[in-house]
Amino acid sequence: MLVEEEIHAALETAFTPRELTVRDVSESHRGHAGYQDGGQSHFDVVIVAEAFENMSRLARHRAVHEALGPALISRIHALALDIKA
Amino acid sequence: MSAETDIKETVGGNDVVLFMKGTKSMPQCGFSSRVAGVLNFMGVEYQDVNVLADDGIRQGIKDFSDWPTIPQLYVKGEFVGGCDIVTEMTLSGELDQLFEDKGVTFDKDAADKIREHNG
Repeated sequence: MLVEEEIHAALETAFTPRELTVRDVSESHRGHAGYQDGGQSHFDVVIVAEAFENMSRLARHRAVHEALGPALISRIHALALDIKA
Repeated sequence: MSAETDIKETVGGNDVVLFMKGTKSMPQCGFSSRVAGVLNFMGVEYQDVNVLADDGIRQGIKDFSDWPTIPQLYVKGEFVGGCDIVTEMTLSGELDQLFEDKGVTFDKDAADKIREHNG
């Protein structure tokens, strides 16, 4: 499974979001630190889920980090998160 | 000195600290660059810590805040967030509010200018 698909699956399972987009934006970082052939290193995530209601910004991010888990996070070079309730 | 002691002293001894890849004058990552750019533009006095210069600090700061990514911004000893959070707070005005509450000097006009151009 692509890293992109693993991120998608982990977040889908944890939050059953109304909206979830995971974009591999690695190409726009070609030549930068962390870039690897075939991409799958830099991601933009937009997630909208009721689960984030009444959570602070820090808490929302921490919840996403936790859902992804350290093993998956260690394989991601850059992750931009847009989290809404 | 252990990385943990070092981090505690830096975070406790400076009003505003940015743990980043590279330095405030020469950032080496787009996310670090964005946060340093905001602080520079807002005229905030802050201590930059280049995590690329020390592997102990690079891992240590992630353990310290239980946060897996760099950059990390601290104001008066408190972890504020990384690039996404600082960007959102800059645009919403929450960062201004935080600086005001904590007594950190910054250029309000510059902050407004950022919002004007990124609204």
